[in-house]
Amino acid sequence: MKFKFLCVLCLFVFIAGNNAIQAEKDSNKLVIKNGYIVPVNADPIEEGIILIENGIIKDLGKNIPIPEEAEVIDASKNWVLPGFIESHSSLGTTGQYGGGDTDETYNPDTAQMKIIDAINPFDKNFLYARTAGITTIMAAPGRKNVIGGQTAVLRLMGKTVNQMTLLSPAGLKISLGEGPKSTYGSKGRLPSTRMGSAYVIRKAMIEAKEYSQKWNEYKEKSKKNQDIPPPKRDLRLEVLSLALDGELTVFIESYRVDDIMTALRLIDEFKLKAVLVGCAEGYKVAEEIAIRKIPVVISPFGIGPRRMETKEIKISNAAVLSQKGVKIVLKSDESLGMGNIRELPLIAALAVKGGLDRKTALRAITLTAAEVLGVEDKIGSLEKGKEGNIVISDGDPFHYKTRIQRVLIQGKTVYQKSY
Amino acid sequence: MKKFKRFLILCFLFLLEVSFFIYGENETIAIKNVKILTVTRGIIEEGTILIENGRISAVGQGVEIPNEASLIHASGCIITPGLIDSHSHLGLGPSGGVTEDNEMSSACTPQLRIIDSIHPEGMEPHSHSFRDAVSQGVTTVIARPGSGNVIGGQSAALKLRGKTVDDMILVFPVDMKMAMGRKGYYASKGVLPVTKMGTAYIVRNAMVEAMDYKLALELYEKKKDKDKNAKPPDRDLKNEAMLMVLNRDIPVHIHCSPVDDIMTAVRLADEFDFYKLSLAHAEESYKVADELAKRGVIVVVGPRMITFDDKDNLINIAENLVKHGVEINIMTDADVVQQEYLRFQAAIAIKYGLAPEEALKAITINPAKLIGMEKRIGSIEVGKDADLVIFDGDPFDIQTKVLKVFIDGKIVYDLEKERGLQ
Repeated sequence: MKFKFLCVLCLFVFIAGNNAIQAEKDSNKLVIKNGYIVPVNADPIEEGIILIENGIIKDLGKNIPIPEEAEVIDASKNWVLPGFIESHSSLGTTGQYGGGDTDETYNPDTAQMKIIDAINPFDKNFLYARTAGITTIMAAPGRKNVIGGQTAVLRLMGKTVNQMTLLSPAGLKISLGEGPKSTYGSKGRLPSTRMGSAYVIRKAMIEAKEYSQKWNEYKEKSKKNQDIPPPKRDLRLEVLSLALDGELTVFIESYRVDDIMTALRLIDEFKLKAVLVGCAEGYKVAEEIAIRKIPVVISPFGIGPRRMETKEIKISNAAVLSQKGVKIVLKSDESLGMGNIRELPLIAALAVKGGLDRKTALRAITLTAAEVLGVEDKIGSLEKGKEGNIVISDGDPFHYKTRIQRVLIQGKTVYQKSY
Repeated sequence: MKKFKRFLILCFLFLLEVSFFIYGENETIAIKNVKILTVTRGIIEEGTILIENGRISAVGQGVEIPNEASLIHASGCIITPGLIDSHSHLGLGPSGGVTEDNEMSSACTPQLRIIDSIHPEGMEPHSHSFRDAVSQGVTTVIARPGSGNVIGGQSAALKLRGKTVDDMILVFPVDMKMAMGRKGYYASKGVLPVTKMGTAYIVRNAMVEAMDYKLALELYEKKKDKDKNAKPPDRDLKNEAMLMVLNRDIPVHIHCSPVDDIMTAVRLADEFDFYKLSLAHAEESYKVADELAKRGVIVVVGPRMITFDDKDNLINIAENLVKHGVEINIMTDADVVQQEYLRFQAAIAIKYGLAPEEALKAITINPAKLIGMEKRIGSIEVGKDADLVIFDGDPFDIQTKVLKVFIDGKIVYDLEKERGLQ
């Protein structure tokens, strides 16, 4: 009897609590005022106001009435920017308690793998990145497999992967060059050469084509005769056929110019919707990339274990590609010091040093990134209807002395400068 | 024996002359109206630097300029000493040097010399890595063996000019490179060291073997006059190398990250009375900064410039050490961070609170002191090598351009001539 009572009490407390949270959320109005607002999609607003309601930007501009019940953040003398986006990362898979879950190296083609199954939301690296203004990442499988698996766009807030997920699958990760070659070549397995890597992709795509044909035939036939058994499902080929249909973007990591051209050849052959990642020698074939309207996700750095392939990288890479009309997204290199994800704005500043236009550089870590990742309807700029992912900094984010003062994700303060 | 020594000294002097002939630019250059960050003697606004015979011959306001001097007007610019990277793997192999710095056939290889692994492509004036490094003001690097082995070998300080590694050598051997706590490779093979105890044992054992070797040598020296049959001990390259450490001829440089490895390094230094101890990386040094300060241990910070403590507070590794009185250097660990980004590594330390003067010291005079070259490089003073960098603004700002770089009074980089190359 007592137990029953306890249960009821618990339930009541739970509902009440839930309601309280819900109620708080309903009246959740936030105003950021007096800041130098850089919406990215439009011209900056001096001493502007942003109104956020339930985590979504309701309004922004100069003369906006401030609701009485709203919480107000005074951003005088500060810059107000959209949250930064890191477009290719293994954050959350390499945490303190083991990790290294980005490459399922039993086979070079593992399109069926999903990166969300390797993410630990409590990985401290999420917290550290967040305190530097990174509000969204695209988590991707590594570069050891030729076809690594499905990527996901994650907001850096939440206790579960479901809460974090903005889009999954966001793309299919493919890798060319030394990564798969050194992983399988040392075991005497396919691929031991660059030819082998290209073959793995070609074979997979042709299998997928046959697979979807089989299903299409089945769908046709089953209209007339419902007794026909469906073909056997294959999780790997299901994903690959999505890529073939252009429903899933392929993110092809390639650094050297020969690998970039192999990527382009495969893109042409299978009419893939693609993004090039890495692209250290992109400047050598900028026209080829531009003509196909393929965006690139690049870092002005060429460091870490990839250095063998990034030897020819140039600080002007982004600028050259951009001038030829290629859509540029900038990323960090998951490295230490200057290359760290926390210094993403400074990495963009390096691209500016290399000749990239400042506006393009800022767009490359915000709105362009959102466009390339397919989430531009939700994030990437300060616009009505977008999520309230906001960075408040004490100056130009491209200056080395500028410090982040406050970071908001969906209108919630997730970091406030304390050091 | 004495004659031979004299011969050696003569040879050395001759080589010195030759090197002067090659590198000592006879041209007299005057850099005018420039803001001089001397590092050791404050800031001189609108000063002049006079370069003669590859050395700085005058610094200050109102320096008399000889008629034959070629003039460089640098109004609005800032000049600093050539930057020194205290821990680098520049030039290790044609493909960026993944393995050329780690001789993984044994965990104890003090006999190895990094200069034997440096590929000319890394140094050749036309290669990217060399030119890019110089183009951002780096004039000297300390090239070191990697941290795969417990005792990795002997480091070298190289000036970034010349065609061969022999041309580049400023000091060799600079110090003995060791690494604490890096046992993964040998552990996976079940070979010593499998644990951190094993790592420390390897150093201890090498020192004790060197002591025995020294005793045997001394015994022979005593005996040889009386006993014509006395035999010297067999030559042993490992022990000869460790003797330099034992005799306090060269310092020791130890890779370590967590606090246990840091303190093991310190313990070994205490036990064997190392001449000078410098630590590389030492991310958790903030936990024992007082212990390091007390002993005068130098920390070479980087490529990770910040870390987080147990309560997730940001720790600026460099600033924290300086606050506690520990002398710091800042490094790129090239190519972990590319060699040319040395000044931006320092900028990140400044961003999180390190005083800019300290940051500049950490990439100029402090590494010069570390290698015992503080009388030749690392600051702008009369008599020093004319290794200089002219910036068009704040040296730490990312958009600031390097206009000219001098090594030994010779222009090794000129933006006007190289525009578009990078």
